[in-house]
Amino acid sequence: MNRNCRTLGLASGFALMLALPAVAEVRIGVLVPDSGPAGLFGPSARNVAQLALEDINAAGGINGQPVRLIFADAGVPPAQAVQSVVRLWRGEGVHGFVGMHDSAVRAALVGQFRGQIPYIYTPVYEGGECAPGTWVTGETPAQQLAPVLPWLAENEGATQWYLIANDYNWGRGTSAAAREIIEDFGGAVVGEEFVPLGTSDFDASLQRIRGSGANAVLVSLVGGDSVAFNIGYGAFGLDDRALRLGTLIEENTLAGIGAAGSNRLYAAAGYFGNIETEAAQAFAARYHESFGADAAPLNTLGQSVYDGLLLMAALGNAAGSMDVAAIAEVADGTGISTPRGEVLLAGNHVAQNVYLADGTGGSFSVVASFDAVSAGVACE
Amino acid sequence: MTETALLVLLNLTWQIAALALLALGLAIVFGLLRILNMAHGEFVMLGAYAHVLTAQLGLPPLMAVPLCLALVGLAALLVERLVVRHLYDRMFDSLLATWALSILMREAVELVWGRAYRNVALPVEGVTELGLVGYPTYRLLVIAAIAGFFLVLWVWYRRSLTGVRLRAMVSNPALARASGINTARLSAMAFVTGCLCAGMAGLILAPVMAVEPNMGLDALIRSFFALVVGGLGTLEGLAIGVAVVGGLQAGLSAALSQTAGYLGVLILAILFLWRRPDGIYRRR
Amino acid sequence: MASIVVVSAALAAALLMVPVLGGDFLAWQIGLYLLYGVAAQGVGLAWGRGGFLPLGNAVFFGVAAYAAAMALRATGGALVPNLAAMLVIALILAAIAWVLAAILFHGRSDSGPFFSLTTLALVLIVAQLAGTTPAITGGFNGYSGFPPLAGLDPFGNLYYVIVVLVVVVSAALMALDRLPAGLVLRALVAQESRLQVLGFATNRVKAWAFAGAAFITALAGALYASHQGIVTPQATGFVFSAELVIWAAVGGRLHPLGPLFGAVAIGLLSAELRDTLPWWEVVVALIFLVVVLMAPGGAAELVARGARRLGWRRPITQHSPGPAPPSRAESVAGALQLHDVRLGAGSVQILRGLNVACPQSGILCVIGPNGAGKTTMLKAITGAMRVQSGHIRLGDQDITNAPPHAALGNGIGRKFQIPTVFAGLSVTENLQLAALAGRARGVDFLKPSAFGWQAEPLVRLLAHPGVPLAGLGTLDAGALPQGHRQMLELALTVGAAPRILLLDEPTAGMSPEETVLMVALIRAYQARTGAFVLVIEHDMALVAALQARVLVLHQGCALAEGTLNAVRADPAVAAVYAGGAK
Repeated sequence: MNRNCRTLGLASGFALMLALPAVAEVRIGVLVPDSGPAGLFGPSARNVAQLALEDINAAGGINGQPVRLIFADAGVPPAQAVQSVVRLWRGEGVHGFVGMHDSAVRAALVGQFRGQIPYIYTPVYEGGECAPGTWVTGETPAQQLAPVLPWLAENEGATQWYLIANDYNWGRGTSAAAREIIEDFGGAVVGEEFVPLGTSDFDASLQRIRGSGANAVLVSLVGGDSVAFNIGYGAFGLDDRALRLGTLIEENTLAGIGAAGSNRLYAAAGYFGNIETEAAQAFAARYHESFGADAAPLNTLGQSVYDGLLLMAALGNAAGSMDVAAIAEVADGTGISTPRGEVLLAGNHVAQNVYLADGTGGSFSVVASFDAVSAGVACE
Repeated sequence: MTETALLVLLNLTWQIAALALLALGLAIVFGLLRILNMAHGEFVMLGAYAHVLTAQLGLPPLMAVPLCLALVGLAALLVERLVVRHLYDRMFDSLLATWALSILMREAVELVWGRAYRNVALPVEGVTELGLVGYPTYRLLVIAAIAGFFLVLWVWYRRSLTGVRLRAMVSNPALARASGINTARLSAMAFVTGCLCAGMAGLILAPVMAVEPNMGLDALIRSFFALVVGGLGTLEGLAIGVAVVGGLQAGLSAALSQTAGYLGVLILAILFLWRRPDGIYRRR
Repeated sequence: MASIVVVSAALAAALLMVPVLGGDFLAWQIGLYLLYGVAAQGVGLAWGRGGFLPLGNAVFFGVAAYAAAMALRATGGALVPNLAAMLVIALILAAIAWVLAAILFHGRSDSGPFFSLTTLALVLIVAQLAGTTPAITGGFNGYSGFPPLAGLDPFGNLYYVIVVLVVVVSAALMALDRLPAGLVLRALVAQESRLQVLGFATNRVKAWAFAGAAFITALAGALYASHQGIVTPQATGFVFSAELVIWAAVGGRLHPLGPLFGAVAIGLLSAELRDTLPWWEVVVALIFLVVVLMAPGGAAELVARGARRLGWRRPITQHSPGPAPPSRAESVAGALQLHDVRLGAGSVQILRGLNVACPQSGILCVIGPNGAGKTTMLKAITGAMRVQSGHIRLGDQDITNAPPHAALGNGIGRKFQIPTVFAGLSVTENLQLAALAGRARGVDFLKPSAFGWQAEPLVRLLAHPGVPLAGLGTLDAGALPQGHRQMLELALTVGAAPRILLLDEPTAGMSPEETVLMVALIRAYQARTGAFVLVIEHDMALVAALQARVLVLHQGCALAEGTLNAVRADPAVAAVYAGGAK
C-alpha cells in the first residue's frame, strides 16, 4: 500500500500538506459530528477533546512527543466521512483516530483501515465490533443493561417490560440484549416493537404500552424520536403506570423532553454530567471554566471523546509507538482513570462503571452506580 | 375493548387535526400560487422557536403568539420579496429555490439557537377524564380550536370578498388580473398567509414535538402526502386528504405497527399519484 | 460528431492526468465525485432533456450498489460475471424506470410535480426497507465484506474503470443531443402537446429518457460499491437524491457535462469547506439558491453564454438529403364522422350532440360565433379533450377518445388555433421534426441520416416561391413573426402528409399577401393529395376564396351545412349572426 502514500499534489491545495511538520509530533484524527442528525453532540465532543489534549500534553504527550489533534466532520454519510478520514490518514499522516459517530461510518472506516492504523470508537453502540486495530470504549447494551435491569426489578419492581426501539442495528441490538437479561432474572417481556427512524407520532405505541400491562418500558429510541415519545408518554399520564429506562437518554435528550415528560424516566450510561465523584466533579468544573457556563452540556456521547483520546495516549505510551501491531500487543489490560472512573481494556472493549440516573424533574440524579461492568462482547 | 376503541378514535381525531394544521400552509401556497414550498417545514420550525425566543426575552408565554406572527411573517415577506416572487411561473425552480431556502433557514436557526432540543412546556397540563379514558387536556383544546378555526376559514373562503378574489385568481389568473385584482399583491399575501399558518402550526404543536432545527422535514413530508391524496387547491380537498392519510397512518399504526403506518401512507400516495393525479390539480 | 470525439478525448485526457498530477488519493476522491456525477447526469437526462424532475433517483444508485455488492460477494469479485451482473442490474432498473414513467405519464401532456412526488415516495420506501432488513442489506450499518471488482484497487486502477464509464456516458449523452432522439426530447420540453399531435407518444419518449437516466445511474451505483467497499442506506436515500438534483442544477442540467462538473465541483468544495468551516452547508445552499435565481441553466449555461458572446456558434451539421420512408398518416380508414358527440369542461357543456359527416376528400369550412365549439371539435377529434358520449369514426374505425398521439397514425394532422411551433429550436430543427413525424420508428431515432429525410410535402412547400422558411434555417422558431410562424406550423402539420388536415384559423394574424399564399397552399395540398381539409375560419372572404362547403356551428351543435350562399340564406344562421354577417 506504500504507493498510496506517494499521493497528494497540486490540484486542490494539497501541496500545503506535503510540507509535513519538521517537529516530531503525534497526530490524532478526531472524528466528531459537526453536521447531520448527531450534529448537536459536535460542540461538547470538540470541547472535551481540547481538555484531553491539554491533559495528554501536560503529561508529556505520547512517547515524549507532543500530540496534535486534527478534526474532521463525521456527521455526513459514510462515503463523505471516509473521504475526510482517508485524507487525514494518507494526506496528513495521522497516526491514530478517535471517532464519535454513527455505526455506518464506523463500518465504512473499519473497511478502509483494515487494521493498519489504531482506531478508537467511543460512543454508545450496539456491540459486536471486533475488527483488528479497532478498540471500543462506548457502552454496549449488555454493559448498560446487565446491572441495571435487575436493580430496577429489585428496587422499583420493574418486572413486566415493554421494549420499544428504533428499527435499526442499535435499537434491535439493545432490545435483544434486554430480552435475554430480563428472562434471566425472571422478568417478562410483555411487548416489543420497532419503529422507523424519524417517527414523530407515538400515539399507537403508547396505546399498546397502556394495554400491555407493562410496569416498565425500555426506550431504545434516538434523538428526536426519543424526545417525541417521552413527551407523549408524559402527556398521556403513563408515567404512573410504568417507569422508563433509556440507554441513550443523555442531557440533551432530557432537556428536549422537559420536566413534564421525565417523571420516572431512568437512564443508564457510563457518564453523566453530574456524577458525584471527585474526578467527575473536577472535570465538569474545568469544562465550564474553559468553555463558559452555557457551553454545550456534558453528556456521555460528547464526553466519550475524552476517554478515547486518553486511551489512545495510554496505548501509545504502553506500546512505545503508534504502530498498530505494537499497540495490539499491549492493549489488553491497559487502563486509564477518567471522569467515568477506572476504564480497563479487555479484548477490544472496555470494562467501565455504569451509572443509573433518574431524570424526574428534568435533570439527572444518579441513583445507583455499578463498578467495572464488562462490555459483554467476546472478541476472539 | 370500548376503552381502546375510544382511545383509537381520539388518537385518530388528534392526528387528523394536527395534520390539517400542518398541511394548511402548504395547501394555501401550492393551491394559490402553484409553488411547492419545500421550506414549509422550516416555517413550522420557526413558529416553534417563537416559544424559545419568548422565554429568552423573558416575556409571558402568551406573547409567543404575536412574536410568532411577527417572526414568521417577516421571514416570509423577505423570502417572497427576494426569492419566491421571481419564480411564480417556474414550478421546478421554485421547488429548488425553496429547498435551498430550507437549508439556509435551518442553519440560521442553528446559528442563533444552537442544535440542542428545546422543550416547550405544555400551556395546559394534565389529563381530562372522558368517562372511560383520560386524554391530554392540551390535545383536546387544540382539536377543538382547529375544528373551530377550519369552520371559520371555510365560511370566510366561501363568503368573503377576499375569498372570492382568491378563488378567481386560482381559477384564472389572467382574467383576475384583467378584472382589476392585484394578483402580485394577492400572491404576496397568499404566500405570507401560508407561511403564517405553518408558523402557527409550529407554535401550537411545539409542546408535543421534539423542537430542534431539523424538525421541519418530517412536517413537510407528512403534509405533502396528505395534500397529494386529497387534492390541492381546495379546503375540501385538504380535509379529505388529511382524513385519509391521518386515518390510514393512525389505523395501520394501531392495528399493525408504526412501520406499516409509515409505508402505508407512502404506498397510498403513490397509488393516488398514479390513478388520480388529476384529483390534485382539479383546476387545470 | 467530430466535436464529440474531441470533447470526449479532452475529458479523458483531463481525467487521466488527475492521478499523475494529483496522486492516487486525489484520484480516489475525485473518483467518488465522478460516480456521483454520472448519477447527476442521469438527473440531467431526465430533467434537462425529458423535462420532468425526479426526486428519487438515488433509488437506482443505491439498489444497484447493493445488488452489485451482493454479486461481488457471491462471485468473489471475478471480472466477467460481475460486469455481466452490473449490466443486468442496470437493465432491470432501466426497465422498471421505463414502466414507471410510461404509466405515470400516460394520458398527460405535462410533467407536473406528481411525478417528482411519486419518486420521492419511492425513495422513502426503499430507504426504509434498506435500513430495516439487516439480514439482507446489513441494515443501517451497511453491507460490507465484499471484494472490489476484479480485485481492482480503489486507490489505484479502479479509477480508470470509473474514467471509462464517465467518458462513455458523457460521449453517449453528447451523441444523443445530435441524434433525432435528442431532437425529439428537446421538442418535448419545448411543447409537449404539439409533439403529441405530431404522432409521438410522449409518455413513452419520457419513459426512454427515464430509463436512460436509471441505466447510467445504476452503472455508477454498481461501481460505487467497489469504490467504497460498503453500501449504506444513505446511498438510496432522499437526501442523496436531492443532492443529485442540486449538482445537476448547479452544473447545468441542459448540457451533458454540466451535472458531472456540478458534482465534482461541489464535491471538492464541500470536502474542503467541511474541514475548515462548520457552516459549509450554508455556502453550498447559497450557491444553489443563486444559481436557481440568477442562472437557471447552471454553470454550463454561463459557459455557453460566454462562448456565444465571444462569437462561438455551434457548427451546423449538413445532413445529406435522402429519401424519407412512407408516412403512417398517408392512409386513412375512411371519412371522418361525428355522431352525437357531447363534451363538457367542468359545469360548462361545450359540444351538445354534434353530428358531422365529412366527405372523404375536399375542403370544409367551419364557421360559428365564439364559443360555438369549433376548436373543441378539433380537440375532440384528436383526443386532446375527452368525449363524454357519442362516437367519432373514420369510416368503420372508431377513434373516440383515442390518445392525441394516435391521431396522426390515423391520418389526422391538426394545426393549433394559436400557432404553436417548437420555440427554442431552430426553424430547420422544426422542419426536421416535421419530416420525422409519422415516418421515424425504432432505430431511426438513433440514425443521424434521418435528419436528411426529404419528405415530399415539405419539399414542395419549401420550394414554393412565396414560402419564406427556406432562408430562415438557424433562427429560433419562437422568435418568428406571426405570419412566418403560421407557415412553419402548416409545415409541421403537413410534413407527415396526413389525409385529414384540421386547420384552426390558419390565416390569423397574416398580411393580405400571406393570406392569399396560405389559401393557395391549402388548395394545392388538397388538390395534390386528395385529402380532406377542415378549416376553421372567421373571415368570410377567405371562406369564399377557399370555394368550400360551409358548416355552421352554434352552441355545440351543427346549425347548417351547405355552400356559402346557401348557408348565408339560411334564416337560422342569419339569426345567429344577426347584424354581424360580413
